[in-house]
Amino acid sequence: MADPNSIQYFEPISILIVEDNEIDHKVLEAMLSEAPPLISRLKTVSSLASAIKSLSSDQFDVVVLDLNLPDSRGQDTLKQLNKMYPDVAIVVNTGAYEDELGVKTLGFGAQDFLVKGKYSTYILNKTLRYAIERKRLEIELKQAYHKLKETQAELIQVEKMKVVGSLASGIAHEVKNPLAIILFGITYLSEQIKPKNKEVQLVFENIKEAIDRANNIISDLLNFSKINHLNKRKEDLNEVIEKSIMLVKHEAERSNVHINKNLDPNLPEVEIDRNRIEQVFINLFLNAIQAMPRGGTIKLKTYSHQIQKNTGEMSWIHDNGFKVGQRIVIACIEDQGCGIATEKINKVFDPFFTTRPTEGGVGLGLSVSKNIIDIHEGHIAIENQRKGGVRVSLAFKT
Amino acid sequence: MLPRILIVDDEKGFTDILKLTLEATGKYQVQVENNPQHAVKMALQYRPHLILLDVIMPRMEGPDVAIEMRNDEKLKEIPIIFLTGTITEDEALEVGHKIGKHTFVSKPCHLEDLLNAIEEYILPFSD
Repeated sequence: MADPNSIQYFEPISILIVEDNEIDHKVLEAMLSEAPPLISRLKTVSSLASAIKSLSSDQFDVVVLDLNLPDSRGQDTLKQLNKMYPDVAIVVNTGAYEDELGVKTLGFGAQDFLVKGKYSTYILNKTLRYAIERKRLEIELKQAYHKLKETQAELIQVEKMKVVGSLASGIAHEVKNPLAIILFGITYLSEQIKPKNKEVQLVFENIKEAIDRANNIISDLLNFSKINHLNKRKEDLNEVIEKSIMLVKHEAERSNVHINKNLDPNLPEVEIDRNRIEQVFINLFLNAIQAMPRGGTIKLKTYSHQIQKNTGEMSWIHDNGFKVGQRIVIACIEDQGCGIATEKINKVFDPFFTTRPTEGGVGLGLSVSKNIIDIHEGHIAIENQRKGGVRVSLAFKT
Repeated sequence: MLPRILIVDDEKGFTDILKLTLEATGKYQVQVENNPQHAVKMALQYRPHLILLDVIMPRMEGPDVAIEMRNDEKLKEIPIIFLTGTITEDEALEVGHKIGKHTFVSKPCHLEDLLNAIEEYILPFSD
Protein backbone atom coordinates (compact mmCIF):
# COMPACT_ATOMS: atom_id res chain seq x y z
CA MET A 1 0.00 0.00 0.00
CA ALA A 2 1.24 3.49 -0.82
CA ASP A 3 2.44 5.69 2.07
CA PRO A 4 -0.36 8.26 2.57
CA ASN A 5 2.28 10.96 3.23
CA SER A 6 4.18 10.42 0.01
CA ILE A 7 3.64 12.87 -2.83
CA GLN A 8 1.54 11.38 -5.62
CA TYR A 9 3.16 11.35 -9.00
CA PHE A 10 0.50 13.55 -10.55
CA GLU A 11 0.02 15.86 -7.60
CA PRO A 12 0.97 19.49 -8.42
CA ILE A 13 4.30 20.59 -6.97
CA SER A 14 5.87 24.02 -6.34
CA ILE A 15 9.30 24.69 -7.84
CA LEU A 16 11.90 27.39 -7.28
CA ILE A 17 14.47 27.74 -10.07
CA VAL A 18 17.73 29.39 -8.99
CA GLU A 19 19.59 30.13 -12.21
CA ASP A 20 21.45 33.24 -13.35
CA ASN A 21 21.90 32.16 -16.96
CA GLU A 22 18.91 33.47 -18.87
CA ILE A 23 19.00 30.78 -21.56
CA ASP A 24 19.22 27.98 -18.99
CA HIS A 25 16.27 29.16 -16.95
CA LYS A 26 14.22 29.80 -20.10
CA VAL A 27 14.92 26.19 -21.19
CA LEU A 28 13.86 24.89 -17.78
CA GLU A 29 10.71 27.00 -17.68
CA ALA A 30 9.81 25.88 -21.20
CA MET A 31 10.26 22.22 -20.35
CA LEU A 32 8.25 22.55 -17.14
CA SER A 33 5.49 24.46 -18.91
CA GLU A 34 4.82 21.40 -21.05
CA ALA A 35 3.03 19.90 -18.06
CA PRO A 36 1.35 22.93 -16.44
CA PRO A 37 -1.35 21.11 -14.40
CA LEU A 38 1.41 19.34 -12.52
CA ILE A 39 3.00 22.53 -11.24
CA SER A 40 1.20 24.58 -8.62
CA ARG A 41 3.81 27.36 -8.54
CA LEU A 42 6.94 28.11 -10.52
CA LYS A 43 9.28 30.94 -9.61
CA THR A 44 12.70 31.85 -11.00
CA VAL A 45 15.38 33.85 -9.20
CA SER A 46 18.98 34.52 -10.22
CA SER A 47 20.97 34.78 -6.97
CA LEU A 48 21.44 32.95 -3.70
CA ALA A 49 20.21 36.00 -1.74
CA SER A 50 16.95 36.12 -3.68
CA ALA A 51 16.56 32.33 -3.34
CA ILE A 52 16.86 32.68 0.46
CA LYS A 53 14.33 35.52 0.40
CA SER A 54 11.84 33.46 -1.64
CA LEU A 55 12.21 30.40 0.58
CA SER A 56 11.68 32.45 3.72
CA SER A 57 8.43 33.95 2.43
CA ASP A 58 6.97 31.04 0.40
CA GLN A 59 6.97 27.31 0.70
CA PHE A 60 8.49 25.30 -2.18
CA ASP A 61 8.63 21.54 -2.60
CA VAL A 62 11.85 21.56 -4.59
CA VAL A 63 14.66 23.91 -5.65
CA VAL A 64 16.45 23.49 -9.01
CA LEU A 65 19.82 24.99 -8.17
CA ASP A 66 22.62 26.26 -10.36
CA LEU A 67 25.80 26.19 -8.23
CA ASN A 68 27.54 29.16 -9.80
CA LEU A 69 25.60 32.31 -9.02
CA PRO A 70 26.71 35.95 -8.89
CA ASP A 71 26.79 35.93 -5.07
CA SER A 72 27.93 32.35 -4.36
CA ARG A 73 29.94 29.73 -6.19
CA GLY A 74 30.30 25.95 -6.21
CA GLN A 75 29.41 23.66 -3.36
CA ASP A 76 29.07 26.57 -0.91
CA THR A 77 25.85 27.57 -2.67
CA LEU A 78 24.36 24.15 -1.97
CA LYS A 79 25.74 23.86 1.56
CA GLN A 80 24.39 27.24 2.57
CA LEU A 81 20.91 26.63 1.17
CA ASN A 82 20.72 23.15 2.64
CA LYS A 83 21.79 24.41 6.05
CA MET A 84 19.18 27.16 6.09
CA TYR A 85 16.33 25.09 4.62
CA PRO A 86 17.02 21.46 5.53
CA ASP A 87 13.44 20.41 4.76
CA VAL A 88 13.40 21.52 1.09
CA ALA A 89 14.44 19.09 -1.64
CA ILE A 90 17.30 20.35 -3.84
CA VAL A 91 18.15 19.21 -7.36
CA VAL A 92 21.47 20.62 -8.63
CA ASN A 93 21.52 21.73 -12.24
CA THR A 94 25.17 21.33 -13.28
CA GLY A 95 26.91 22.37 -16.45
CA ALA A 96 27.58 19.97 -19.31
CA TYR A 97 30.28 17.35 -18.64
CA GLU A 98 30.02 17.91 -14.88
CA ASP A 99 28.63 14.49 -13.96
CA GLU A 100 31.39 13.97 -11.42
CA LEU A 101 30.56 17.25 -9.65
CA GLY A 102 26.88 16.26 -9.75
CA VAL A 103 27.57 13.02 -7.89
CA LYS A 104 29.61 14.93 -5.28
CA THR A 105 26.70 17.29 -4.57
CA LEU A 106 24.68 14.31 -3.28
CA GLY A 107 27.09 14.20 -0.36
CA PHE A 108 26.41 17.84 0.45
CA GLY A 109 22.67 17.60 0.79
CA ALA A 110 21.30 17.52 -2.80
CA GLN A 111 18.70 14.86 -3.50
CA ASP A 112 19.64 14.54 -7.18
CA PHE A 113 21.38 16.34 -10.02
CA LEU A 114 20.67 17.14 -13.65
CA VAL A 115 23.29 17.80 -16.32
CA LYS A 116 22.33 20.73 -18.51
CA GLY A 117 21.36 19.76 -22.04
CA LYS A 118 21.19 16.08 -21.23
CA TYR A 119 17.67 15.64 -19.92
CA SER A 120 14.20 15.45 -21.37
CA THR A 121 10.95 16.82 -19.93
CA TYR A 122 10.17 13.31 -18.75
CA ILE A 123 13.53 12.94 -16.93
CA LEU A 124 13.22 16.44 -15.43
CA ASN A 125 9.75 15.75 -14.09
CA LYS A 126 10.76 12.35 -12.73
CA THR A 127 13.94 13.76 -11.09
CA LEU A 128 12.06 16.53 -9.30
CA ARG A 129 9.40 14.19 -7.95
CA TYR A 130 11.90 11.58 -6.86
CA ALA A 131 13.94 14.30 -5.11
CA ILE A 132 10.87 15.45 -3.17
CA GLU A 133 10.10 11.90 -2.15
CA ARG A 134 13.72 11.25 -1.09
CA LYS A 135 13.72 14.40 1.01
CA ARG A 136 10.45 13.39 2.68
CA LEU A 137 11.87 9.97 3.55
CA GLU A 138 15.10 11.56 4.79
CA ILE A 139 13.12 13.83 7.16
CA GLU A 140 11.09 10.88 8.41
CA LEU A 141 14.25 8.89 9.00
CA LYS A 142 15.83 11.78 10.90
CA GLN A 143 12.75 12.15 13.09
CA ALA A 144 12.67 8.41 13.78
CA TYR A 145 16.38 8.47 14.69
CA HIS A 146 15.84 11.46 16.98
CA LYS A 147 12.89 9.74 18.66
CA LEU A 148 14.92 6.55 19.06
CA LYS A 149 17.79 8.45 20.66
CA GLU A 150 15.38 10.16 23.04
CA THR A 151 13.63 6.94 23.97
CA GLN A 152 17.01 5.32 24.57
CA ALA A 153 18.06 8.20 26.85
CA GLU A 154 14.73 7.99 28.72
CA LEU A 155 15.12 4.24 29.20
CA ILE A 156 18.60 4.72 30.62
CA GLN A 157 17.24 7.38 32.98
CA VAL A 158 14.34 5.13 34.09
CA GLU A 159 16.78 2.26 34.76
CA LYS A 160 19.03 4.57 36.78
CA MET A 161 16.04 5.74 38.81
CA LYS A 162 14.94 2.16 39.50
CA VAL A 163 18.37 1.14 40.75
CA VAL A 164 18.73 4.24 42.91
CA GLY A 165 15.15 3.83 44.16
CA SER A 166 15.56 0.28 45.41
CA LEU A 167 18.99 1.04 46.83
CA ALA A 168 17.62 4.14 48.54
CA SER A 169 14.72 2.52 50.38
CA GLY A 170 17.00 -0.26 51.64
CA ILE A 171 19.63 2.14 52.92
CA ALA A 172 17.05 4.54 54.34
CA HIS A 173 15.49 1.97 56.60
CA GLU A 174 18.81 0.64 57.84
CA VAL A 175 20.08 4.11 58.69
CA LYS A 176 16.93 5.41 60.38
CA ASN A 177 17.12 3.02 63.34
CA PRO A 178 20.65 4.02 64.42
CA LEU A 179 19.70 7.67 63.90
CA ALA A 180 16.73 7.21 66.23
CA ILE A 181 19.04 5.66 68.84
CA ILE A 182 21.46 8.58 68.62
CA LEU A 183 18.69 11.19 68.76
CA PHE A 184 16.90 9.73 71.78
CA GLY A 185 20.28 8.94 73.36
CA ILE A 186 21.47 12.50 73.10
CA THR A 187 18.10 13.83 74.32
CA TYR A 188 18.28 11.52 77.33
CA LEU A 189 21.89 12.44 78.13
CA SER A 190 21.26 16.17 77.92
CA GLU A 191 18.23 15.79 80.22
CA GLN A 192 20.24 13.77 82.74
CA ILE A 193 23.33 15.96 82.71
CA LYS A 194 21.44 19.26 82.32
CA PRO A 195 24.70 20.97 81.34
CA LYS A 196 25.18 24.51 82.56
CA ASN A 197 28.37 24.90 80.55
CA LYS A 198 27.36 26.64 77.31
CA GLU A 199 29.97 24.77 75.28
CA VAL A 200 28.53 21.40 76.35
CA GLN A 201 25.03 22.63 75.47
CA LEU A 202 26.35 23.70 72.07
CA VAL A 203 27.82 20.24 71.47
CA PHE A 204 24.45 18.62 72.24
CA GLU A 205 22.65 21.04 69.91
CA ASN A 206 25.18 20.43 67.12
CA ILE A 207 24.71 16.67 67.42
CA LYS A 208 20.94 17.07 67.21
CA GLU A 209 21.24 19.30 64.15
CA ALA A 210 23.55 16.81 62.48
CA ILE A 211 21.02 14.03 63.09
CA ASP A 212 18.26 16.19 61.59
CA ARG A 213 20.41 16.82 58.53
CA ALA A 214 21.20 13.14 58.07
CA ASN A 215 17.51 12.33 58.55
CA ASN A 216 16.54 14.88 55.87
CA ILE A 217 18.91 13.26 53.39
CA ILE A 218 17.47 9.85 54.20
CA SER A 219 13.94 11.21 53.84
CA ASP A 220 14.87 12.59 50.40
CA LEU A 221 16.08 9.13 49.45
CA LEU A 222 12.85 7.56 50.67
CA ASN A 223 10.71 10.14 48.86
CA PHE A 224 12.77 9.50 45.74
CA SER A 225 11.96 5.80 45.77
CA LYS A 226 8.28 6.31 46.56
CA ILE A 227 7.10 8.69 43.84
CA ASN A 228 4.80 6.37 42.00
CA HIS A 229 1.24 7.46 42.72
CA LEU A 230 -0.36 10.87 42.57
CA ASN A 231 -3.30 12.49 44.25
CA LYS A 232 -4.30 14.73 41.31
CA ARG A 233 -6.90 17.49 41.46
CA LYS A 234 -7.68 20.59 39.41
CA GLU A 235 -5.56 23.33 40.97
CA ASP A 236 -4.56 26.94 40.42
CA LEU A 237 -0.81 26.73 39.79
CA ASN A 238 -0.33 30.30 41.04
CA GLU A 239 -1.68 29.30 44.46
CA VAL A 240 0.68 26.34 44.65
CA ILE A 241 3.59 28.61 43.72
CA GLU A 242 2.58 31.23 46.34
CA LYS A 243 2.53 28.53 49.02
CA SER A 244 5.99 27.31 47.95
CA ILE A 245 7.31 30.89 48.06
CA MET A 246 5.95 31.25 51.58
CA LEU A 247 7.88 28.16 52.64
CA VAL A 248 11.20 29.40 51.22
CA LYS A 249 10.67 33.05 52.22
CA HIS A 250 12.86 32.80 55.28
CA GLU A 251 15.70 31.19 53.30
CA ALA A 252 15.40 33.87 50.58
CA GLU A 253 15.47 36.74 53.07
CA ARG A 254 18.47 35.25 54.83
CA SER A 255 20.36 35.13 51.53
CA ASN A 256 19.15 38.59 50.50
CA VAL A 257 17.29 37.16 47.51
CA HIS A 258 14.20 38.94 46.22
CA ILE A 259 11.48 37.07 44.31
CA ASN A 260 10.00 39.11 41.48
CA LYS A 261 6.60 37.63 40.56
CA ASN A 262 4.72 38.02 37.31
CA LEU A 263 1.84 35.56 37.67
CA ASP A 264 -0.93 35.49 35.08
CA PRO A 265 -4.21 35.91 37.04
CA ASN A 266 -6.20 34.20 34.25
CA LEU A 267 -4.23 30.98 34.30
CA PRO A 268 -6.35 27.92 33.42
CA GLU A 269 -6.45 25.21 36.12
CA VAL A 270 -4.05 22.29 35.87
CA GLU A 271 -4.53 18.74 37.11
CA ILE A 272 -1.73 18.14 39.59
CA ASP A 273 -0.80 16.59 42.91
CA ARG A 274 -0.47 19.78 44.89
CA ASN A 275 2.01 18.46 47.47
CA ARG A 276 4.31 16.98 44.85
CA ILE A 277 4.34 20.10 42.69
CA GLU A 278 4.92 22.24 45.77
CA GLN A 279 7.94 20.02 46.47
CA VAL A 280 9.21 20.73 42.93
CA PHE A 281 8.86 24.51 43.28
CA ILE A 282 10.45 24.56 46.74
CA ASN A 283 13.37 22.60 45.35
CA LEU A 284 13.74 24.93 42.34
CA PHE A 285 13.52 28.06 44.51
CA LEU A 286 16.12 26.70 46.93
CA ASN A 287 18.42 25.89 44.01
CA ALA A 288 18.00 29.44 42.69
CA ILE A 289 18.63 30.95 46.14
CA GLN A 290 21.75 28.83 46.62
CA ALA A 291 22.98 29.88 43.17
CA MET A 292 23.11 33.50 44.42
CA PRO A 293 25.09 33.45 47.68
CA ARG A 294 25.60 37.22 47.49
CA GLY A 295 21.92 37.93 46.92
CA GLY A 296 20.00 38.80 43.77
CA THR A 297 16.59 38.44 42.16
CA ILE A 298 14.60 35.39 41.15
CA LYS A 299 12.29 36.22 38.26
CA LEU A 300 9.17 34.12 38.28
CA LYS A 301 6.57 34.11 35.54
CA THR A 302 3.48 32.05 34.77
CA TYR A 303 1.42 32.18 31.60
CA SER A 304 -0.71 29.98 29.40
CA HIS A 305 0.11 29.23 25.81
CA GLN A 306 -1.71 27.64 22.93
CA ILE A 307 0.68 25.43 21.01
CA GLN A 308 1.26 26.55 17.43
CA LYS A 309 2.74 24.60 14.54
CA ASN A 310 5.95 26.62 14.60
CA THR A 311 7.04 26.85 18.20
CA GLY A 312 10.48 28.40 17.55
CA GLU A 313 12.52 28.28 20.76
CA MET A 314 9.83 26.13 22.40
CA SER A 315 10.28 23.28 19.90
CA TRP A 316 10.71 20.84 22.85
CA ILE A 317 6.93 21.03 23.26
CA HIS A 318 6.37 18.72 20.28
CA ASP A 319 8.75 16.12 21.67
CA ASN A 320 6.81 15.84 24.89
CA GLY A 321 3.44 14.61 23.75
CA PHE A 322 1.89 18.09 23.66
CA LYS A 323 -0.28 18.62 20.60
CA VAL A 324 -0.81 21.57 18.26
CA GLY A 325 -3.85 23.56 19.43
CA GLN A 326 -3.52 22.33 23.03
CA ARG A 327 -3.38 24.95 25.81
CA ILE A 328 -0.57 24.49 28.32
CA VAL A 329 0.47 26.36 31.45
CA ILE A 330 4.10 27.40 31.72
CA ALA A 331 6.09 28.51 34.75
CA CYS A 332 9.56 30.05 34.32
CA ILE A 333 12.08 30.58 37.09
CA GLU A 334 15.18 32.62 36.31
CA ASP A 335 18.08 33.25 38.65
CA GLN A 336 21.09 35.57 38.40
CA GLY A 337 23.67 32.98 39.47
CA CYS A 338 26.68 31.83 37.51
CA GLY A 339 24.79 29.20 35.50
CA ILE A 340 25.77 25.57 34.94
CA ALA A 341 28.92 24.52 33.05
CA THR A 342 28.01 23.49 29.48
CA GLU A 343 29.49 20.00 29.92
CA LYS A 344 27.36 19.48 33.02
CA ILE A 345 23.99 20.82 31.91
CA ASN A 346 22.91 17.50 30.36
CA LYS A 347 23.56 15.72 33.64
CA VAL A 348 21.53 17.88 36.01
CA PHE A 349 18.65 15.39 36.12
CA ASP A 350 20.91 12.43 36.91
CA PRO A 351 20.49 11.06 40.43
CA PHE A 352 23.36 12.13 42.71
CA PHE A 353 24.59 14.79 40.28
CA THR A 354 25.29 17.98 42.21
CA THR A 355 27.00 21.27 41.52
CA ARG A 356 27.38 21.86 45.26
CA PRO A 357 29.19 18.81 46.66
CA THR A 358 31.09 20.89 49.20
CA GLU A 359 27.95 22.56 50.50
CA GLY A 360 26.19 19.33 51.32
CA GLY A 361 24.20 18.94 48.08
CA VAL A 362 23.22 15.29 47.65
CA GLY A 363 22.08 15.63 44.05
CA LEU A 364 18.59 14.24 44.36
CA GLY A 365 16.47 17.40 44.17
CA LEU A 366 16.37 17.83 40.42
CA SER A 367 16.05 14.14 39.60
CA VAL A 368 13.15 13.90 42.06
CA SER A 369 11.62 17.03 40.50
CA LYS A 370 11.96 15.61 37.00
CA ASN A 371 10.42 12.36 38.15
CA ILE A 372 7.44 14.23 39.60
CA ILE A 373 6.96 16.32 36.44
CA ASP A 374 7.31 13.23 34.23
CA ILE A 375 4.57 11.35 36.04
CA HIS A 376 2.37 14.44 35.59
CA GLU A 377 3.10 14.08 31.84
CA GLY A 378 4.53 17.58 31.97
CA HIS A 379 7.93 18.89 30.97
CA ILE A 380 10.89 20.44 32.77
CA ALA A 381 13.75 22.12 30.91
CA ILE A 382 16.89 23.73 32.31
CA GLU A 383 19.06 26.06 30.30
CA ASN A 384 21.67 28.75 30.79
CA GLN A 385 20.43 32.22 29.90
CA ARG A 386 22.42 34.37 27.49
CA LYS A 387 22.52 37.17 30.06
CA GLY A 388 23.78 34.72 32.72
CA GLY A 389 22.03 32.55 35.31
CA VAL A 390 19.77 29.57 34.83
CA ARG A 391 16.24 29.42 33.47
CA VAL A 392 13.99 26.52 34.48
CA SER A 393 10.79 26.11 32.46
CA LEU A 394 7.95 23.86 33.54
CA ALA A 395 5.01 22.99 31.30
CA PHE A 396 1.73 21.44 32.43
CA LYS A 397 -1.25 20.15 30.47
CA THR A 398 -4.57 21.89 31.15
CA MET B 1 -0.27 4.85 89.44
CA LEU B 2 1.58 5.83 86.28
CA PRO B 3 0.20 4.78 82.88
CA ARG B 4 1.95 1.74 81.38
CA ILE B 5 3.56 1.75 77.93
CA LEU B 6 4.73 -1.36 76.10
CA ILE B 7 7.43 -0.93 73.42
CA VAL B 8 7.60 -3.69 70.79
CA ASP B 9 10.72 -3.26 68.67
CA ASP B 10 13.47 -5.70 67.72
CA GLU B 11 16.24 -3.08 67.96
CA LYS B 12 17.51 -3.50 71.55
CA GLY B 13 19.77 -0.42 71.40
CA PHE B 14 16.74 1.68 70.54
CA THR B 15 14.33 0.19 73.08
CA ASP B 16 16.90 0.51 75.92
CA ILE B 17 17.27 4.25 75.28
CA LEU B 18 13.57 4.88 74.59
CA LYS B 19 12.62 3.14 77.87
CA LEU B 20 15.14 5.26 79.79
CA THR B 21 14.00 8.45 78.04
CA LEU B 22 10.29 7.87 78.65
CA GLU B 23 10.81 6.83 82.24
CA ALA B 24 12.99 9.90 82.83
CA THR B 25 9.95 12.09 82.16
CA GLY B 26 8.50 10.67 85.39
CA LYS B 27 5.13 10.20 83.68
CA TYR B 28 5.13 6.58 82.54
CA GLN B 29 6.08 3.04 83.40
CA VAL B 30 7.68 1.27 80.47
CA GLN B 31 8.09 -2.38 79.49
CA VAL B 32 10.04 -3.62 76.44
CA GLU B 33 9.53 -6.65 74.21
CA ASN B 34 12.20 -7.22 71.54
CA ASN B 35 10.65 -10.37 70.08
CA PRO B 36 7.47 -9.50 68.14
CA GLN B 37 6.25 -13.11 68.40
CA HIS B 38 6.05 -12.68 72.17
CA ALA B 39 4.33 -9.30 71.98
CA VAL B 40 0.77 -10.56 72.59
CA LYS B 41 1.86 -12.70 75.55
CA MET B 42 3.73 -9.75 77.06
CA ALA B 43 0.75 -7.44 76.52
CA LEU B 44 -1.63 -9.88 78.24
CA GLN B 45 0.75 -10.06 81.16
CA TYR B 46 1.64 -6.32 81.42
CA ARG B 47 -1.77 -4.83 80.40
CA PRO B 48 -0.35 -1.60 78.94
CA HIS B 49 -2.42 1.57 78.38
CA LEU B 50 -0.57 2.13 75.12
CA ILE B 51 1.68 0.17 72.75
CA LEU B 52 4.54 1.64 70.72
CA LEU B 53 5.01 -0.78 67.83
CA ASP B 54 7.79 -0.98 65.24
CA VAL B 55 6.70 -1.88 61.67
CA ILE B 56 9.53 -3.77 60.01
CA MET B 57 10.80 -6.54 62.26
CA PRO B 58 12.20 -10.00 61.54
CA ARG B 59 9.99 -13.07 62.12
CA MET B 60 6.80 -10.99 62.49
CA GLU B 61 5.99 -7.51 61.20
CA GLY B 62 4.28 -4.78 63.22
CA PRO B 63 0.92 -4.82 61.38
CA ASP B 64 0.64 -8.58 62.03
CA VAL B 65 1.28 -8.00 65.72
CA ALA B 66 -1.46 -5.32 65.66
CA ILE B 67 -3.93 -7.74 64.00
CA GLU B 68 -3.27 -10.36 66.68
CA MET B 69 -3.93 -7.77 69.37
CA ARG B 70 -7.19 -6.66 67.69
CA ASN B 71 -8.32 -10.29 67.64
CA ASP B 72 -7.80 -10.65 71.36
CA GLU B 73 -10.80 -9.62 73.49
CA LYS B 74 -8.54 -8.40 76.33
CA LEU B 75 -6.18 -6.38 74.11
CA LYS B 76 -8.37 -5.05 71.31
CA GLU B 77 -9.08 -1.67 72.93
CA ILE B 78 -5.42 -0.82 73.62
CA PRO B 79 -4.29 2.06 71.36
CA ILE B 80 -1.24 1.44 69.19
CA ILE B 81 1.25 4.00 67.88
CA PHE B 82 3.35 2.72 65.00
CA LEU B 83 6.88 4.00 65.43
CA THR B 84 8.51 3.48 62.05
CA GLY B 85 11.33 4.45 59.74
CA THR B 86 9.29 3.43 56.68
CA ILE B 87 7.54 6.78 56.44
CA THR B 88 9.20 10.18 56.45
CA GLU B 89 8.20 13.00 58.76
CA ASP B 90 6.75 14.88 55.73
CA GLU B 91 4.54 11.94 54.88
CA ALA B 92 3.45 11.54 58.50
CA LEU B 93 2.58 15.27 58.60
CA GLU B 94 0.72 15.03 55.29
CA VAL B 95 -1.78 12.58 56.76
CA GLY B 96 -1.85 14.25 60.19
CA HIS B 97 0.09 11.32 61.65
CA LYS B 98 -2.92 9.05 61.07
CA ILE B 99 -3.51 6.34 58.54
CA GLY B 100 -7.02 4.99 59.09
CA LYS B 101 -7.44 4.62 62.86
CA HIS B 102 -3.71 4.19 63.42
CA THR B 103 -1.25 6.78 64.55
CA PHE B 104 2.15 6.85 62.88
CA VAL B 105 5.24 8.54 64.20
CA SER B 106 8.28 8.71 61.94
CA LYS B 107 11.56 7.31 63.28
CA PRO B 108 13.79 9.14 64.15
CA CYS B 109 11.68 11.87 65.70
CA HIS B 110 12.19 14.44 68.40
CA LEU B 111 11.12 13.34 71.86
CA GLU B 112 8.59 16.17 72.01
CA ASP B 113 6.72 14.84 68.94
CA LEU B 114 6.58 11.35 70.39
CA LEU B 115 5.39 12.64 73.77
CA ASN B 116 2.61 14.65 72.07
CA ALA B 117 1.40 11.52 70.28
CA ILE B 118 1.55 9.50 73.52
CA GLU B 119 -0.33 12.16 75.53
CA GLU B 120 -3.21 12.05 73.06
CA TYR B 121 -3.94 8.50 74.22
CA ILE B 122 -2.62 8.55 77.77
CA LEU B 123 -4.56 11.61 78.98
CA PRO B 124 -7.97 9.85 79.08
CA PHE B 125 -6.41 7.11 81.27
CA SER B 126 -4.76 9.44 83.73
CA ASP B 127 -8.06 11.20 84.46
